Amino acid sequence: MDDQTIAYMQELMQIAARAGNSRDDIEKFLAKLREQFVFDNVAVYLQDESTQTLEVVYARAIGRAKYAEADAAWGEDFAGQVLQKGKLLLQDPTPDIPSEDRLHQAYLLGLPFREEGLIKGALIFVRFGGPAYEQNHITMALVATELLSMLFERVTWKELHRELHDLKRQMQLQEDFVSTISHELRTPLGFIKGYSTSLLRQDTSWDDETQHEFLTIIDEEADRLALLIENVLESARLQSKTLPLRFQPLRLDAVIRDVAQRIRSRYKELDVSMDIQNASPISGDGVRLAQVFENLFTNAIKYAPGAPIFVILKQVGKSLVVSFLDRGPGIPKESLPLIFERFYRVRSEKTVTGTGLGLYICKQIIAAHRGKIWAESNPGQGTTFFIELPITPSN
Amino acid sequence: MAKRILIVDDEPRYLRLLEANLRTEGYEVVTAQDGAQAVDVFSNQPIDLVLMDVMMPKLDGFGATQRIREFSNIPIIILTAKGDEQDRVRGLDLGADDYLVKPFSATELLARVRAVLRRAQPPSEAGQSRFFTHDNLKIDFARAEVWRGELPVSLSATEYRLLLQFAHHVGKIMTSEDLLTSVWGPEYRTDKEILWVSIARLRQKLEDDAHTPKHIVTRSGLGYLMPPIEE
Repeated sequence: MDDQTIAYMQELMQIAARAGNSRDDIEKFLAKLREQFVFDNVAVYLQDESTQTLEVVYARAIGRAKYAEADAAWGEDFAGQVLQKGKLLLQDPTPDIPSEDRLHQAYLLGLPFREEGLIKGALIFVRFGGPAYEQNHITMALVATELLSMLFERVTWKELHRELHDLKRQMQLQEDFVSTISHELRTPLGFIKGYSTSLLRQDTSWDDETQHEFLTIIDEEADRLALLIENVLESARLQSKTLPLRFQPLRLDAVIRDVAQRIRSRYKELDVSMDIQNASPISGDGVRLAQVFENLFTNAIKYAPGAPIFVILKQVGKSLVVSFLDRGPGIPKESLPLIFERFYRVRSEKTVTGTGLGLYICKQIIAAHRGKIWAESNPGQGTTFFIELPITPSN
Repeated sequence: MAKRILIVDDEPRYLRLLEANLRTEGYEVVTAQDGAQAVDVFSNQPIDLVLMDVMMPKLDGFGATQRIREFSNIPIIILTAKGDEQDRVRGLDLGADDYLVKPFSATELLARVRAVLRRAQPPSEAGQSRFFTHDNLKIDFARAEVWRGELPVSLSATEYRLLLQFAHHVGKIMTSEDLLTSVWGPEYRTDKEILWVSIARLRQKLEDDAHTPKHIVTRSGLGYLMPPIEE
């Protein structure tokens, strides 16, 4: 081989070896191939494992048949022969049907297409009106077929890899959830057990104040346990879409004010500013919508402790838009698209209790109102949650 | 004198539970809310027993146990969740003396504490110090920090563990196999080159002159040692 050929082969191989999973790479490869090996049409047929029939997976009209669309030859039957015989085949145009139209004079070259060493299909090159394939062309086509099958295989692997990656993440989320939920359930249970057995100790006596303190803790932790179980069940019902919503006309501004007041009575120090317009009534489930805002408040209290909160309600066209801002540490960019997923929790140095269900539940509730919820965040500057609800949702 | 117990948990309600019960038995109680704080509190006052939660922010219970074990044999009881067998094994492997499974009853807690304190050796002053010095080399076990004279030295986690092997066995020749097994793990037992490179790097960082080392000395054909300092 001369230097020029070596350089050319190297270029071909590089394109094949570096190909990602886009069709552009196949295109690029064929364009390069055509510099030395002329053809008009090219098609890749692969055998469908389930139906045992040939499927065309790639086809390009590059040369003379560019505008002939489906009328030109693509070598479908010929591909079947190549696959059947398992070897390279040539087919020249039938000489007894003379035709002026070059498109009727197809020279076909068929090469077995391999995947993982097994013949899985055929690669067909078509030349309209010749020239016939010479030995050096055929050698080039053989090399190109090997490289192309490599390229196809890579694409398949990459797709599989992506699927596996997604699956693995799902499994990780499930696993995290199981370990989080068992920790979360065990914490209140541990308090109930610990404080009640303390009160039951016979070798010591507790003063009235301590007894009351312990009993209050037991009571609160029992509530926390109940809420947790309710959350888990609710998210399961939302997941299977069996949670009934009671729609009725309501004023979102009133719902938000109610929630804010309840939160303020629990967290006296909390700094909440509100800019809430009197909004048109919407049709919604007041209890569920209140739950969404309560969740946003408790998240802000947990993840942005001490940071002021701003709640803005505006009517924009036929929608109500609520912006819920905190000036907390923000959410890392890579976590932002995932926070509404079931079981997802932002990993941080601080341990914050939670089930990874809160925002998932919010999203389901808002979706059931035909609305949207999303978040924007600048790490270090805070997070804004947006909720958009249609004023007259169609049923 | 009343025994002093350090309780470490990030849940204030667990701290309260432990503290209230321990005080009824006449123990003195000090608290910490994470592993890093625990190591700090521990190294600043005499403590007789540590009750250590596992899941905590900053440094977790395992990390804190490991850190404390680098300079102290004071009994440690790990508080783990039921079903986390791996956690219990890991805790014991790191040098914890016992574990208590959450949820636990107040009487069980007190019984465990009594049992562990009964078994505990009276703390010997030797080998219980937070600081280690070897000529101009100084180690603060509690903070996992190393100085060469006045200069702080930055070591990788592996380098630090390797240095601890020498500091804990001053005057004793350590074979390559000993060092590889205890620092890298048994599967690295014969991987001498990785040890050579690490010792060379450690000397670069610790020795005034890496070619005539004072802290980590080679005994050809035998191994390495940190020689005793002549008084």
